[in-house]
Amino acid sequence: MDIKEIQSLIKFVAKSGASEVKLETDDIKITIRTGAVGSGSDTTYVQQIPVPQTPLAPIPQAPAETPALSPEASTKESQEDDAKYITIKSPIIGTFYRKPSPDKPAFVEVGSSISKGDVLCVIEAMKLFNDIESEVSGKIVKVLVEDSSPVEFDQPLFLVDPS
Amino acid sequence: MPIIKLDATDSTNAYLKRLIASNVSQDFTVVVARNQLKGRGQMGTHWISEEGKNLTFSVLKKNKDLSTDDSFLLNIIVSLAIVDSLKGFQVPDLKIKWPNDILSGTSKICGILIENIISGNKIKASIIGIGLNTNQTIFHNVPKASSLKLLLGKTLDLDELLKELLNSLESIFQDVQKKGSEELWEAYGEILFRKDKPSTFQDSNKKKIMGFIRGVSAEGKLIIELEDNVKKEFGFKEVTLLY
Repeated sequence: MDIKEIQSLIKFVAKSGASEVKLETDDIKITIRTGAVGSGSDTTYVQQIPVPQTPLAPIPQAPAETPALSPEASTKESQEDDAKYITIKSPIIGTFYRKPSPDKPAFVEVGSSISKGDVLCVIEAMKLFNDIESEVSGKIVKVLVEDSSPVEFDQPLFLVDPS
Repeated sequence: MPIIKLDATDSTNAYLKRLIASNVSQDFTVVVARNQLKGRGQMGTHWISEEGKNLTFSVLKKNKDLSTDDSFLLNIIVSLAIVDSLKGFQVPDLKIKWPNDILSGTSKICGILIENIISGNKIKASIIGIGLNTNQTIFHNVPKASSLKLLLGKTLDLDELLKELLNSLESIFQDVQKKGSEELWEAYGEILFRKDKPSTFQDSNKKKIMGFIRGVSAEGKLIIELEDNVKKEFGFKEVTLLY
């Protein structure tokens, strides 16, 4: 089973409404838990009071200058457009948070204008809370990681349009 | 070392962050509050303290050249600084519960919340928040909490305590500049709570495992020796020590 298959399995489970699916084959064992109502507090990686989760895919705000965001755009087209964007990557391994605390609004949303030095997110690692500052100025085009999820070193977090 | 004393604030870390944003903060600026209205612990948790009875303060440390790879060193420096100064007050049986809770015996007396400001792969500045249970004697619904007054049987002067804590914090930061951090990693490993003792942990699937704490990795992960002499590293939310 490769990453693609696992990804589509996760999507399938999420859509199905099941709260937990266990799958075991000869060489792999997977448990998928969704944040379905009532089971939120059991989700392994979420340690705080469940808050409304932001959807994985960025909400198409569809401002005139970012046509690549419209869901109809073909993959090829959006890939070409992505090339002119700057990818902001995670400097560390940890848990990605879009908000300073669960009851506060997100640091940035799709469409937010950012300046160099603005805080984009918090990544928690070993009980250290790290405010990640932007090294570029521009506009947030995509948020690539879901709130409260684990991130790897160098994992893309945001796409920024520097123009 | 400018010290800002407040009667009340939301959280001393938050206050210090606002100060940084206004560009009027110098290295080792200290903010101390008699009453912290919205003290914070880990993401979404609270640090509740009775007004005027405990030491709740934050220190701004501007780092010259600290890589994100060395971030765990901050947990080590701050916990050891607190242990050192509390030793001076004869607090018994001090231990560090990984990664940065300070215990006396099995009771938690001090919590640390460090926030870093990261740009690229450098930690530009750290906001070190410390909450030390000092003269509070009643803790509701926190059975593992204690205070210096409960442990020592006397009321302590908060200003004197603050002075000692800041002195040891400053001197450890200076030592690191001069001598590097090797000795600190060693000292931290030695003073870990339940080091080399058979202990029970709960992993993220709520499964109980038995093992011995042997130390921490360079990333700050907890090294636990499991059955069959297998050593495994665990991240902060991957394992909980039961005690």
